[in-house]
Amino acid sequence: MDKKAKLIATRTSKNIYKDGDKVIKVFDENYSKADVLNEALNQARVEQTGLPLPKLLGVEMIDGKWAIVTEYIEGETLKDLMKKNPEKTDEYLNLFVDLQIKIHKASSPLLTKLKDKMKRKIAATSFDATTRYELQTRLEGMRDHTKVCHGDFRPSNVIIKPNGEAYIIDWAHATQGNASADAARTFLVLSLHEEPALADKYLDLFSKKADIPKQLVQRWLPIVAATQTLKNREEEKELLTKWVDVADYE
Amino acid sequence: MEQNKEYQIVDGVEKLEEAIARVRAAQKIFATYTQEQVDKIFFAASVAANKERIPLAKMAVEETGMGVVEDKVIKNHYAAEYIYNAYKDTKTCGIIEEDNSYGTVRIAEPIGMISAVIPTTNPTSTAIFKTLLALKTRNGILISPHPRAKNSTIAAAKVVLEAAVKAGAPEGIISWIDVPSLEMTNLAMKEADIILATGGPGMVKAAYSSGKPALGVGAGNTPAIIDKSADILLAVSSIIHSKTFDNGMICASEQSVIVDDSIYTKVRKEFLDRGCYILKKDEIDKVRKTIIINGALNAKIVGQSAYKIAELSGVKVPETTKILIGEVESVDLSEEFAHEKLSPVLAMYKAKDFFDAVEKAEKLVEDGGLGHTSSLYIDEIAEDDKIKFFASKMKTCRILVNTPSSQGGIGDIYNFKLAPSLTLGCGSWGGNSVSENVGVKHLINIKTVAKRRENMLWFRAPQKVYIKKGCLPVALDELRTVLGKKRVFVVTDQFLYTHGYTKCITDKLDEMGILHQTFFDVAPDPTLACAKEGAAQMCAFKPDCIIAVGGGSAMDAAKIMWVMYEHPEADFLDMAMRFMDIRKRVYTFPKMGEKAYFIAVPTSAGTGSEVTPFAVITDESTGVKYPLADYELMPNMAIVDCDMMMDAPKGLTSASGIDAVTHALEAYASILATDYTDGLALRSLKMVFENLPQAYENGQTDYKAREKMANAATMAGMAFANAFLGVCHSMAHKLGAFFHLPHGVANALLIDQVIKFNCVEVPTKMGTFSQYDHPHAMARYAEVADYLGLKGKTDEDKVNALIVAVNELKEKVGIKKTIKDYGIDEKEFLEKLDQMVEQAFDDQCTGANPRYPLMSEIKEMYLNAYYGRN
Repeated sequence: MDKKAKLIATRTSKNIYKDGDKVIKVFDENYSKADVLNEALNQARVEQTGLPLPKLLGVEMIDGKWAIVTEYIEGETLKDLMKKNPEKTDEYLNLFVDLQIKIHKASSPLLTKLKDKMKRKIAATSFDATTRYELQTRLEGMRDHTKVCHGDFRPSNVIIKPNGEAYIIDWAHATQGNASADAARTFLVLSLHEEPALADKYLDLFSKKADIPKQLVQRWLPIVAATQTLKNREEEKELLTKWVDVADYE
Repeated sequence: MEQNKEYQIVDGVEKLEEAIARVRAAQKIFATYTQEQVDKIFFAASVAANKERIPLAKMAVEETGMGVVEDKVIKNHYAAEYIYNAYKDTKTCGIIEEDNSYGTVRIAEPIGMISAVIPTTNPTSTAIFKTLLALKTRNGILISPHPRAKNSTIAAAKVVLEAAVKAGAPEGIISWIDVPSLEMTNLAMKEADIILATGGPGMVKAAYSSGKPALGVGAGNTPAIIDKSADILLAVSSIIHSKTFDNGMICASEQSVIVDDSIYTKVRKEFLDRGCYILKKDEIDKVRKTIIINGALNAKIVGQSAYKIAELSGVKVPETTKILIGEVESVDLSEEFAHEKLSPVLAMYKAKDFFDAVEKAEKLVEDGGLGHTSSLYIDEIAEDDKIKFFASKMKTCRILVNTPSSQGGIGDIYNFKLAPSLTLGCGSWGGNSVSENVGVKHLINIKTVAKRRENMLWFRAPQKVYIKKGCLPVALDELRTVLGKKRVFVVTDQFLYTHGYTKCITDKLDEMGILHQTFFDVAPDPTLACAKEGAAQMCAFKPDCIIAVGGGSAMDAAKIMWVMYEHPEADFLDMAMRFMDIRKRVYTFPKMGEKAYFIAVPTSAGTGSEVTPFAVITDESTGVKYPLADYELMPNMAIVDCDMMMDAPKGLTSASGIDAVTHALEAYASILATDYTDGLALRSLKMVFENLPQAYENGQTDYKAREKMANAATMAGMAFANAFLGVCHSMAHKLGAFFHLPHGVANALLIDQVIKFNCVEVPTKMGTFSQYDHPHAMARYAEVADYLGLKGKTDEDKVNALIVAVNELKEKVGIKKTIKDYGIDEKEFLEKLDQMVEQAFDDQCTGANPRYPLMSEIKEMYLNAYYGRN
């Protein structure tokens, strides 16, 4: 990595640099090698679908740390734009939902199955056996789909180029599965990190545009909420627990 | 509860495999038990479960923290007592039904291993229910409890198991998973022979996707309508009684009440007076947010008291509050109160009228209770139409009237024909394989032993057949003396009319003072147009009796006119529909004889139409022939008087005489032949062989031969009116229609081919009829030869002699040898052959033939008959 490389963002266990027309995501030393390679592989696979995303340029070792090198996309994130032009929120949300539906229309048969991933994650949570049983049962009853799911689709992962073109970044959590689950995840993220009103607005718009009943998305909420607890964020705990503790009886 | 026995703990997949093996081994033994042994076990297990109803109820409430002990006692009691009572006398082992006349035996066999999923809402009663059903049906059962209720579910299963084993059941016939996980539940379902799943939609879906037959049930969202005609006291108290039962945890429980506007205030007041709490506007919102989270039911409120739910919502209500009622408007799922709540929380809607109420109920059922239960409070006597309308609209498998739905839906408490059950099928609407309350019949395989039985046959003929030379006027006397007829319509053809054949009839009618009219325009191969014209005249004249005078054409035309006169609305296409079995035909022929009595007077000896239920009519615009067959078409009276036949020309005598031969031969060989038709056919044949040549040669004078021929033809008619015909007639019908050959001649040209065709011991295919046990046409034709006195050492010789005799007879009466000899052009014949073959194959007569013909075989016979090949 060039010395001129500029640190542009810091996230839990990774630093992100800009180096000319490249972005270099450098992981901490103890970060799982398998997870790094998996993220790169996901990105490579999704690249093949033709969706708008920065090209993967390499996976390297930099000073004993794993790093993923991708194209740099010049522009602003949708999150920043929303903050800057609040009057345009509806327009941005519209674009946001359209992009997500575009992702769901793609297929990439070798990606991990969403339900498999959820199953593993539920098993890893610290909920009691009964709750995990309920969650697994709920998950088991979901239909098997094979749509590409971003897995962490949020306004900060969408970059709008000055010419208006939109790019989707951060494919670490990509899977193939049920679009409703992906939307549920977005709804959760928006509820946790943005205004709840924006989350509601998002869900209504997604449901309308994707022609998927809101209830189908909601059926996934206990599951995505449960998996979110793995991040161990104290401030999220109350809401997540409430969302998880629902009944699914006869 | 004394439970000292040690059981292998099932806490992992390997242990589960072992448990499955134990259940399977026990079930293998159990499968050999008699009904008596099983009933003893069933009794002992029911009694034991019954005794433990209170400890088990306490345990369930303590473990799950849901529901009401006293109500769970009722559920346990119900599961033990009502199930025993309902099935104590039900046969579930071995032969359960035997019918000697029909030759059927029904045998009940166990299915094998049941995988039972038990919910937290009814952890003990459902366990008792399912284990008792399993014992009664000789099945093994493996229980997957819910983790939240595993101890109480297992305790209930142990009570039943121990009592059953004490009463003689094999050890290990009931088993359970001690540490439930989805993986083990799935394995249990995959390994089972049938799944009795009760649980949430996820569990039910898992059951159905296991690949094993599943009896799963789904969610309910019961709406209760209170009509303005309802008894408000009964309605409100019933709903409260049901909704508070076990704190609203029965899936059939009311979730919303829809009240007619005109009684809304009264109903509201009654709910208030009976201890319910109607939420204020701001309180409704608080409760909304508490009961439903993101469209799903908050687990914390399930089976809790109204007071506790109010407290959770931050609403203050008296501690004794029975139900929290939210007055809401939307029946859409965006309204939290429109969901299933499994707690004493109720939505209340105001309906403009009954129809608005039904519309709301439909939507609520769609919201999440498809296939389950709906409820209506109404004046049952005065408002039956509304009940019917409601029942037609509800997509629910239980539609309860004036009944608390919790206690009503499970059956046998408020209605004694609804089967008692704790597993309520929701039909295809709920994604279930059953739509009724699940019981023992769903857990047995029933084998039906069906022994071969022969069809009932029949012999039908006109009520009256009068026979003798010169009998016509005598017989007609009855019109006045017995039948009291006033208006007679005579149907005949031009030749007979102009030659005075009907004069003797009309003179007699005049003499008796009976009005009459004659239709004499029937041509050979009568057309629909002709029949319509005759029928129009009939309609104008309004006869109470029809006399058909003539050969087959006049009699058939008269039969059709009769149908049109009696049933102008009847459709010939329907009436002519082919049938496999005349008793099972799709079309029901209209009732005949309501307007007119039908008398047939034949003037030629052959057709037999005077005693048959058949008539053929041609649609002149399309050329399509409609062969009608139904006993309604049978004449009421036949008058066989050879005075009417003396002047018949030679050609007619020969063609119709040979027609009678083929009638008798085909009726004798038919798979529907009976002893009754056999006698007629044989005697008729003998008479034709002995008298046809004289009638042909000296018809004008030899009245004895004429009389024998007349009787022979009518007897052959009776034979085939009951035994039907065969492929010779199928082929002759089409040959006649395509090439305008007289019907008798067409038959004559084909009959020897057909005899040869039928007389094989190894036919390509034989006719399908229960009493036709093996191909035996050869023996039947040999019997005919014997009766005719033809000689032969073997059946084959005799059949050959019969063919020779038939051919000699044909020759004697001037029938040519081949189709070609009748001047039919070879090229045209070959061109039309395939079409003719297919139509002949599809002819109604083909079905009775002893050998089922392939089309290629029919073609071969046509070609042989054309060229005179043997």
